[in-house]
Amino acid sequence: MENYTKYQLKPREELLELLKGRDDLFIVACNKCFKEFTAAQEPELEELLELAASQGKTVVGSARVDFLCNKTQTLRSLQVPQEARDVLAVCCGLGVQTLAAELDKSVYAAADSIHYTGHHGMALTKKACEGCGQCYLNLTGGICPVVECSKSLVNGQCGGAKDGKCEVDPSKDCAWEKIQQRLAAQGRLAELKAQPVQLRDWSKNDRDTLKDTAAQIRARRLEGYYGGVHPNEHKEYTEHLPLAAFPEPARVTIPMSMHAGAPAAPIVAVGDHVDMGQKIGESAGFISCCVHASVSGTVVAIEDRPHATRGTCLAVVIENDGKYTVHESVRPVEDPDSLTQDDVVALAREKGIVGMGGAGFPTSVKLKPPKPVDTILLNGCECEPYLTADHRVLLEYPEDVIDGLKLMVRITGARQGIIVIEDNKPDAIALMEEKLAGYEDLRVCVAKTKYPQGAEKMLIKRCLGRQVPSGGLPADVGCVVGNISTTKALADAVKTGMPLIARAVTVTGEHIAKPGNYWVRIGTSTAELIAHCGGITGENVTVKAGGPMMGFVQKELDVPIMKGSNGIIAVDTDRSVAQPCIQCGRCVDVCPMELKPLYFAKFADQENWQGCKDYAIMDCLECRCCEYICSSKIPLVTKIKAGKAAVRGMK
Amino acid sequence: MLITKLKDENEIRRLAQGKVFAICCHGCKEISFPEAEAEALIATLDLTGRITTDYICQPENLAARLEPYWNDIQAADAVLVFSCGVGVQTVADYLEGKRVYACCDTVPLPGFQGVTPLEHDCAQCGQCYLNLTGGICPITACSKSLVNGQCGGAKDGKCEVDPTMDCGWERICRRLQQLGRSQEMNFPVQIRNWAINENV
Repeated sequence: MENYTKYQLKPREELLELLKGRDDLFIVACNKCFKEFTAAQEPELEELLELAASQGKTVVGSARVDFLCNKTQTLRSLQVPQEARDVLAVCCGLGVQTLAAELDKSVYAAADSIHYTGHHGMALTKKACEGCGQCYLNLTGGICPVVECSKSLVNGQCGGAKDGKCEVDPSKDCAWEKIQQRLAAQGRLAELKAQPVQLRDWSKNDRDTLKDTAAQIRARRLEGYYGGVHPNEHKEYTEHLPLAAFPEPARVTIPMSMHAGAPAAPIVAVGDHVDMGQKIGESAGFISCCVHASVSGTVVAIEDRPHATRGTCLAVVIENDGKYTVHESVRPVEDPDSLTQDDVVALAREKGIVGMGGAGFPTSVKLKPPKPVDTILLNGCECEPYLTADHRVLLEYPEDVIDGLKLMVRITGARQGIIVIEDNKPDAIALMEEKLAGYEDLRVCVAKTKYPQGAEKMLIKRCLGRQVPSGGLPADVGCVVGNISTTKALADAVKTGMPLIARAVTVTGEHIAKPGNYWVRIGTSTAELIAHCGGITGENVTVKAGGPMMGFVQKELDVPIMKGSNGIIAVDTDRSVAQPCIQCGRCVDVCPMELKPLYFAKFADQENWQGCKDYAIMDCLECRCCEYICSSKIPLVTKIKAGKAAVRGMK
Repeated sequence: MLITKLKDENEIRRLAQGKVFAICCHGCKEISFPEAEAEALIATLDLTGRITTDYICQPENLAARLEPYWNDIQAADAVLVFSCGVGVQTVADYLEGKRVYACCDTVPLPGFQGVTPLEHDCAQCGQCYLNLTGGICPITACSKSLVNGQCGGAKDGKCEVDPTMDCGWERICRRLQQLGRSQEMNFPVQIRNWAINENV
């Protein structure tokens, strides 16, 4: 593997000179970047420590830091003891300057930065690009004359080559001979000869513009919260399409587990007639939820069936009689204003309401937070690419969402309710702002689009500037975060008494013939849904339940739509093969939880579960930003999931 | 680090004569990529096919991802690449017999590490001066890259070359004062050794 590591320790004589007159040292070493990620520690720190000891110096402490120039992370983790007088930095010039600007002590460089010709891309290849700002590759058959020719000539060979070798460096082939050969092979020699004289315009590399660009990128990176990414949204397929009723399914398969916690226990038997909205599964614990019939008809089976996220799961299969007879329990709450917090908690549990963003946390538990809360946040970000179900619910059922929010604010005793919407949904922002104009305690917060904004910890930080502690809950910082569809479901349960038996689902992706947004009854087969949308087109298709970032790959399509199924997408299969980690640091840069995902991959491969735990693997949201940005395409989230499972099993 | 900007539209249209296959690289999109302009332009071309992918500078994955598009690539008169110069060269090498064209110009971004460019920059001079200067780099913080003190041209602490920029040497002076190290400014004359900067 090519090694682009950025620094080397200064020569011994220079270091001895540097140590003279300096004492009470604190030594920081960067773990380097752009090199093979191995288990071995970099040797420079030990060398310097030995040298300092041999000179009788007191070293008050030392530290190894990953990506020292990553200011946010370095300042959070680095503790320089008060008694330290001089700080020695074993890193490249970026790291030294970062420390020198932030510490109130003298910081000295104990290493020199290494220069390499041109700049590599991300993968560590020999290909380089000087960044001349006026790409010549179109004239030269894709061989760069600026980098490959020792003299960076842009108008043909100098004439000094001997036997095809450069006169400056005989180990190198003459770049212009290579260019000539490639163009000859492509029948493009005439093109080369007809080329007017090229002048290199050095002003293309305008320093001011580049400085501004860098400043803008920096600002955008840290907007609202650290990290995050901007994947292609592809919401244009469906964002303009109103929610349509899905044709009634002939039978529904209703899993007993569509929520976090204990699966519900079936309370019907094969052969029973059930009405629409009738409870068919009883909540089986504190963290659990009831399950209801989404059609009226006959129970034809109670058995294990394929499940979108858990392999298989016990499910009640109902043959639809097409009558949609409403169960007697489905009645509006008579006096909604008199509902107490306990009443609503019981109602949410009884009506089977769970978080509809995917994780399925029972709403009943959320509505009775263990600590006082002052703010209810509704996540209208829908930051997952492709998905538009919540966007449509906001546009088409604004009153229901507001009623649900009002109820949540009232029963939790919160001071305010905020609907957070990303700026890629201007129509929803305008509508909700209009609808909330008359409320003093309800408002819209517009957030600049960035994934994973909808994750509750990011949402809280972005809107309120509060940091949920590691392992903590939103209630620890006085918040409850709700989902748009869930809030509407809560309002429905109060207004009509109907339990959660249908939801908005986006069916989309470049391989869906007719993408759309649908109201789908819980238990409807995913395969039927896809068929109704014209089926899957093309080859190399991956179907996922949920969005492209956090969704689950579906090998089996005959799985039921569940309470958390916000989307079904059919996208291109990723054909990339994992390459070795090159310590590019991008995963660390984008992790919104400020973790170091590259270590999780390494530790998981070594089955070093203690290492995973020490690096706070349990704080990972599995948002997939790291995997998305990984320049080596390492399946980081798969490895993290394995690590988390192992850490849970540790005691 | 490298970032890209779209070439002049007319130039791209001239290259895109006949049928083309387009490759967009989003590997460095989190830093900077002219995505909207590239998409608008691609939409008007006569395409045999297109792929949006990332890190095309990684040859193994480039090959794996282009494989399903092989017929589209063969049917094209030219392959247009929207990426940095490294990406274009990687594609040109892989599709050796094909006309591969760069649709972007590439420039280096200062102060880069990972995804976030820093306030600081390192010119990799190979003879770090930061120990003399309180950790402020005279090569990158001074417009003239002076290593022996100020040029004397600063006005009110601003650089005479770029008045939006603070004088690097004034900053150095203040930082050393703050650290109680003013007397260290009497370091011997520094000579920049350009030979250190050998290619590695």
